[in-house]
This record gives sequence, structure tokens and C-alpha cells, in this order.
Amino acid sequence: MSIEEQYRTRAKELLAGGAVKMVIGYGKGTTGERRRPIFITSPDEVERLVLDEACITNLSGYLVSEGLLSDEKRVAVFLRPEGVRAVNILAAESQLDSDQLVIFGFDVVGNEIKALKGIHVEEFADVIESLKESAPGVAKELLLEKIESMSPQERFSYWQGEFAKCIKCYACRQACPMCYCRRCIVDSNQPQWVNTSSHSLGNFEWNIVRAFHLSGRCVECGNCDRACPVNIPLRLINHRMAEEVLGTFDHFAGTSKTQEPVLASFKKDDSETFIL
Amino acid sequence: MTKILFSDKLDNCVERWKKAGFSVIGPVQRNNISTYAAVERAAELDLGLILTERSIKELFFPQSEPMLQYTIKKDSIETKDFLPPSGQRIIFGARPCDASGMAIDDPLFGWDYKDEYWFQRRNESVIVTIACTQSDDFCMCTSLKLAPDSTKGSDILLRPLENKRGWLVEEITDRGRDAFKAIADIVQESADTAAPLAVVEKKFDLDRSVAWLQNPENFESRFWKEISMRCIGCASCTFLCPTCHCFDIQDEGDTYSGMRRKNWDSCSFALFTMHTSGHNPRSTQSARWRQRIMHKFNYFPGKFSVNSCSGCGRCSRQCPVDMGITETLQEISKLSQ
Repeated sequence: MSIEEQYRTRAKELLAGGAVKMVIGYGKGTTGERRRPIFITSPDEVERLVLDEACITNLSGYLVSEGLLSDEKRVAVFLRPEGVRAVNILAAESQLDSDQLVIFGFDVVGNEIKALKGIHVEEFADVIESLKESAPGVAKELLLEKIESMSPQERFSYWQGEFAKCIKCYACRQACPMCYCRRCIVDSNQPQWVNTSSHSLGNFEWNIVRAFHLSGRCVECGNCDRACPVNIPLRLINHRMAEEVLGTFDHFAGTSKTQEPVLASFKKDDSETFIL
Repeated sequence: MTKILFSDKLDNCVERWKKAGFSVIGPVQRNNISTYAAVERAAELDLGLILTERSIKELFFPQSEPMLQYTIKKDSIETKDFLPPSGQRIIFGARPCDASGMAIDDPLFGWDYKDEYWFQRRNESVIVTIACTQSDDFCMCTSLKLAPDSTKGSDILLRPLENKRGWLVEEITDRGRDAFKAIADIVQESADTAAPLAVVEKKFDLDRSVAWLQNPENFESRFWKEISMRCIGCASCTFLCPTCHCFDIQDEGDTYSGMRRKNWDSCSFALFTMHTSGHNPRSTQSARWRQRIMHKFNYFPGKFSVNSCSGCGRCSRQCPVDMGITETLQEISKLSQ
């Protein structure tokens, strides 16, 4: 039985027995290559679930939809390791109770779908630990290498060019499981802390504010990068910040549901080079 | 014999138009995005694109533009009004859906207050549209009763030649005719024939969908929640849409000096309808998506007798979660069967 069929069967059992009220997974999209998030609430609908190498979107952001988990009923969700990491952070930041989740873990290795064993976030600890171990050795994207080899002035103009395209549609924020604020700082208008205009200052403000808010929290699922309608390579910024946080604080975002947020906690042996 | 513009002469045209005082704008691939931008030479144009990722509306209604600058001094207040920089423009290589979109928005911007930003740019622009010979899975002009060779909103329509050597010229408006006078000797007579148009499959029954939307009973239908459950509430669809036109006016600066700007806004955002009391009449994403559909296919046509959609398909093509107008109207067509 394929993993897709196994998971459909499991989804059917969970829904039929009332163990979960909803399964958040992937369904067919508009075109052959597209997959879209779907929300299954009836055992008769599980045939709509699809699981293949095109199932890339990190679905964990839907878990913090207003009211979804407030009735204490359980929800099942399809998650890749990045998704599990995101759930860990959401739990660590008190946004959800991970015990309310039933995880359908999977990963895409090349063109193959691999099932990840476990139901609760804790059971994926080894998978995440091995990702942390291998993170420093992962080959850098060519574009990032190119940007890193630029002089600060060149790098600034590169990002200036990229941010000039920003239309402030906030697709990056809305697609990001870590951007769960009911009211984002840029939507606070009394006072208006951040300009709403997408002129060059406004675009810099927005993209830099977001990069900082994601440092030490981004799980590099790529949702923002794929959502950006004007093709700003947002993944590079977040990857670079994740690298920095890993190197400086040995912090890999989302290893457990009790992990302390790196930029909101203090350890005696923290490097202090950045303070003085 | 018909009028033909040969593509190897396009550079001469650009040169001629520039000499006649026009700036030339067209579809380009720049900085890893396809958009409309000013060009110096014809070679910079990318006329092979099915459709640019960014829409033509930015040329008439930019994402952010200054309206007023103010300085408050001890005993005086100085203000300075801004209007768009003036200048005649040729927009060469627009697609029929984009050109139609501008015509759709004309009555909106001219309804009670005549928006001088919009109309200055409209009056200074000549839209030279190229009919489509290719389409993709998201194109839906035919579902909106438009076509790959609609002339709505265009000043000139060019039909690509079968032999790919140029375009057959159809003059639509006086403004287009005038702009083509500058290149009258470059346009030639020939018996070449136009290539077949793109086949754009009809995706939904517009009349049936509109009738369903007009029925007040359907306003509270469960359908709205179901169809929009995966909507993440970004403004990608509205900002890429050629006809979405909502804006917000913002003052940037402090008590003493600053700038008033007109910025795009979107009904997808919760903040769009947030009252100062904290109450939000559109408190859920489904209410916001319903508004977008109702506005385009019920309220806007109710007021201006035209749907606020030209079928470009960008909303569906670029949606991060594979939603869009096409799917919604397809589902509504099914509901009303």
C-alpha cells in the first residue's frame, strides 16, 4: 500500500471514530502539478487526499486559525519535518497545544515520498536532530554564495533592487506559520508605527522587520518565498539569519515544544560579542 | 491588402515615437519578474510572454503615489500638490485582458469625483494591444464574454501574423490613429494573414453565476466559508488584478511636515473594514472573499453595468494556495444548476 493510501485509511479511521474533527492535508490543484490545502471533516471525503512530491506547502499555519483548536477537539495534519518544527515553535510560544494534534508525517526525498513515524511532535525529535546535525554541511544555494561574495555596497543595491519589487501584499506574512499575530505591527495604526507605503523606505522597513522577527524562529519551509507574487528570494534572507543563529547560539529553530526562543532568552555562556 | 507592421521595423518605430515625444513602455522581464516598463529599444521588449506577472494597472494607478506635501511653520502652513509627471506614452504589447481592465475602471474613477491621477495618465497613454495566440490554464477572458482579440480599452489592436514576421494593424481610436501617424511610412500594405487566435476554453457560465450572486438568500450561504477556507488573507490577488482599484490615503510624517500618499489597499485585509471601535463588519476571511466576488460580479455591474473582471486569471495563477475567481465562479455555476 502506498503512503498516500495508508494515510487515507488512517484519516478515515480517525474521522469515523471521532478521534479527530478534521484532517488538514493536500488535494489536487488547478493544474496537474499543483496541490492545494484541503480540510476534510467527513470519512467519505478522504479519497480527495493526495500525497506526492508536489505536496510542499507547510500547512502548520492553518492550525492557529481563529477558533480551530479552541474546542479542545483534535485535528490531524500532514506535515513535513519543517512543519513539525513549526508546530514545536507554535507550542513553545503558547499558540497551540500540540497534544491536540495528530501528525501525518512525511518527507520528500528526491521524487520519493517517505513516511515519518510518529503521531506527536516528540516522536519526531530524532528526525529534527539529524537535520540540525547536517545543517552546517548543506550546500549553499549559488545565488546566496554570489550575494555573500558581494561588497556591502553591492549587496545593499542587490536587496534594494529586490525590495523595490515589493508590493506589500503581505503574502509572505500570511503564508508564514510563524506570523500568527492577530494584528501585525504594520497594521497598528494608532499610532502608525510602520509606513504603509510601498516606497523604498517602506519596503525596506517591512522586509527587515520581518527578517528580524523570524531570526531563530524560521524553519525554512519556503512558504514565504513561494507565496511572493513578485519573486523576491525571501528564502535567502531567512536562511542567512538561521545560519547566523545556529553558528552564534547553537540554536536550531523548532527542535522541541519546550525550546526557549533564542532571542527572548538568556544563557550565561551566550556570546556577548554583539553587545560590546 | 491590409496594414502590416513588420517586427524587424519595431526598433524604428520606438525611435520614431520617442522622437515624437512619446515614452515607450511594454512588457519586459526585469529583475526576475515580468512587468510593463519603459524601454529604450524594441529588443528590450518581451513580446512572447502570455501575460506579464504584474498587471498594466500600475501604469495608471501605481502602488504608492504622493498627493500632497505639508509643512507647518510658526505662523504659516505650506502645502504642495502633486500630480503625476506629465508625458505622452505608448504602451506597446499590452494584452487584451489588461487593456479591457483599464476601460472597466474608467467609470469607477470618473463616477462622482473625477480622479485626476487616473485620467491624466489615461489621457496621455496610447494602448497598443497584441491579440493572444497563446494562453495557459488560467486564462479566462472568454468566460467574461471577452476574447483573445477584444478591442475594449485598446487604441490599436495588432494581430500576430501567421508567418510570425509582424502584426496586422487595426486602428481602434483616434488616439491610436494619431500615434500611428508618426510611423505611417513604416506600416506597409501586405496580403499576409493573421495567425489563429489562442483557444481559451470557457470555464464557467457567467450569467448563471451572477444570478446566484444577485439572490440575497445566497449571501449567508455556507458556500462562502467552504470555498475560502484555505484563503490566507494576503493581497496577492487584489494587487495583481488589473481591475481591483481600492486605495487608502495615508499621511506620513509628523505634526510639522509630511506627505500625504495614495496607497493600494485590499479587501482581503482584516484592517480594510476595521472600525475605530474595534468592531469589524467583515471579521472573517470568508466574508472578505465574498465581498471580493460580490463586488466584482454583483455590486460593480449593478452600478456601472460591467463586471469588474477582465479574465486575465492572475488571481488564480499566482495565488499561494491555488484559489481564485475561476474556481469560485465554477463552483457557483454548479450550485445554480
